[in-house]
Amino acid sequence: MSSSSSRSVTLADGRAARTASVSRQRLATGSAWALLLALPTAWLLAFLIIPVVVVVVVSFFEPTLSGFNRVFTLDNYRLLAESDVFIRTLSNTVLNAVITTVVTFLLGFWVAYYLALVVPDLRRKFALFIIALAPFFTSFLIRAIAWIPMMGREGLLNTALLNLGITSQPLDFLLFSDFAVRVAMIQLYLLFMVSPIFFSLSTIEPAILEAARDSGAGWWAILTEILLPLARPGIVIGAVFVFVLSMGEFATVRLIGGGKTSSVGLGIQNFVTYIQFPQAAAAASILVLVTVAGVAVLFRYGRVAEGL
Amino acid sequence: MATIATHLQDQTEAAGAAASARGKGTVDLRGLTKRFDGVVAVDHVDLTVPGGSYVVLLGPSGCGKTTLLRMLGGHATIDEGEFLLDGVRTNDVPPARRDISTVFQHYGLFPHKSVRDNVEFGLKMRGLPRDARRQRAEEALRFLDLTPMADRRPRQLSGGQQQRVALARALVTEPTVLLLDEPLGDLDRLLQLRMRIELRALQRRLRITFIHVTHNQEEALAIADQIVVMQDGRIQQVGRPQDVYRRPANLFTSGFMGDNNVFPGTVSAIADDEVWVEGDGLTLLARHDGAGVAAGQTLHASVRASSVSAEPALAGAANSALPERPNQILATLVFLEYLGDIVKLHCRLPNGQTVVAKRAENVRVWEDLVEGEPVRLEWEPHDVQLLLA
Repeated sequence: MSSSSSRSVTLADGRAARTASVSRQRLATGSAWALLLALPTAWLLAFLIIPVVVVVVVSFFEPTLSGFNRVFTLDNYRLLAESDVFIRTLSNTVLNAVITTVVTFLLGFWVAYYLALVVPDLRRKFALFIIALAPFFTSFLIRAIAWIPMMGREGLLNTALLNLGITSQPLDFLLFSDFAVRVAMIQLYLLFMVSPIFFSLSTIEPAILEAARDSGAGWWAILTEILLPLARPGIVIGAVFVFVLSMGEFATVRLIGGGKTSSVGLGIQNFVTYIQFPQAAAAASILVLVTVAGVAVLFRYGRVAEGL
Repeated sequence: MATIATHLQDQTEAAGAAASARGKGTVDLRGLTKRFDGVVAVDHVDLTVPGGSYVVLLGPSGCGKTTLLRMLGGHATIDEGEFLLDGVRTNDVPPARRDISTVFQHYGLFPHKSVRDNVEFGLKMRGLPRDARRQRAEEALRFLDLTPMADRRPRQLSGGQQQRVALARALVTEPTVLLLDEPLGDLDRLLQLRMRIELRALQRRLRITFIHVTHNQEEALAIADQIVVMQDGRIQQVGRPQDVYRRPANLFTSGFMGDNNVFPGTVSAIADDEVWVEGDGLTLLARHDGAGVAAGQTLHASVRASSVSAEPALAGAANSALPERPNQILATLVFLEYLGDIVKLHCRLPNGQTVVAKRAENVRVWEDLVEGEPVRLEWEPHDVQLLLA
């Protein structure tokens, strides 16, 4: 813009013109930013902030058989706090989320390591990454349902075990159990752990690892002194993804837990089904609170900002 | 194992006496070979590097110099041949057990560790107790003027400081050989000029072997005791900077060292200490003992641009008959390149070949030269180098 218009004028004029055009440009980018951010802001406000506020408000209303009265009460929380079932469900949900997060990290780190540091060229890296993403091309629900023919009483795994004579009767815990739910969630969320670790590890220059080896570091020292500290931001972000997603789980729990197991998410869905909105809202508020606390712990001890 | 401080003490004590003994850190390479998927990267390299000397491996990218360095450091396996360090076969010794450290290209500093922890790392890996390694790291930091920034992270340092951290980290384990892979490549030009002097001074103070890889001819000439010119995985020439510069052994070295004028020709006569070469439109006379040269042989003769003198010729003479004296030719000045210290004269011979003459700026003959006008080029027999290989 400015260069073509100022080319013919003198140097001093040119400089003035450039200054003017820079400030004009800054103004333009300012309003462009406002425009770009307005839509997402409105979106967030309409579909996240306002609903969350509504949920929190409703959680303090008095329930009726088919809805609520706008009367303030703490009963919804008190009932949940006194309910053994809810406490058990909540702790089971947290336990499942923690196990899923830990196991996806233990499995996913090596996948990320392999992709980032072992596969030599970029094209093959991305090809493998796309292949790893392949399950995400199908719907989330289909992937959960696909576990049933795999793990069911007459599923592939049980049939194979029986035919090989390893077991004498079908293993029931493979489906409709906490174990099954955890295995399924680990599979579903593994890539949310792999991706950020992969990107963290990808920024490591090969010379850093060679320098470590040159200084006498063995594989354990390289892992603990170099790789894990440098992958920390990716690990924390991956852990946040997996933890948050696992905490909110209900579809996988319903399909693969088969009623033998529960989660807070599923409980909320049940409350909603029975039109008990205040209880649902209270349970949801507690779930969000616990989840946010978990994320806060991750960020606090992950010191994620330091590594970025 | 002596600390860096005692290294320095040794040096002052032994100033005169110990100059005789061949220092530690002598590297012997015998037929060293490396292949990548059948492509030969390093091809039967034979080389002896005396202990305590500064050797520069010089060559264009892909010539095998970095691969050779990595083989010495233990970061690439040796497919064939033998690597002896102070007479001991070192082919299969892991990197950390060799008395060799590497300063990697782009340094490879640990970005999440402080400067001090970077320097301490090698000692920590060797299992030194905390106090001992702290003390030795402090010494190394002091030695390289890094004490004030010991607690900073590498990315908070300038390029030159980062390079010194890489040096401190490599030297803290007291190697007898230090390998440097393009150590000045990341620095801007002024810093390069300063750091290359510092590197040279550091090597003199430590009196250990430095093997330094670069593609920069000037850097190699400025720093090295011995330059090893490499191309296609092979050593093209080994020699002192002045040998490689003045007497390139072959066509590659002559071209790579820059500003050499190369003339193809046929040997027409051999006298006592003179060889006559008939080129295309000119006769070259070289001061040469005639060894390895036979009459009728085709070869190349090389003349450094700085050995070519130029003066104005009479107008119209460029198209006249061939000059009768050897080592003299009429050409046309195509382009006069003023470079401050020197003036580069790009001239075209009647046969179309370009010849470059470099003249000192303060010798004002060049001011009489005009682009597009004829110019007489001339050089001395002892400036003609016959390229036999």
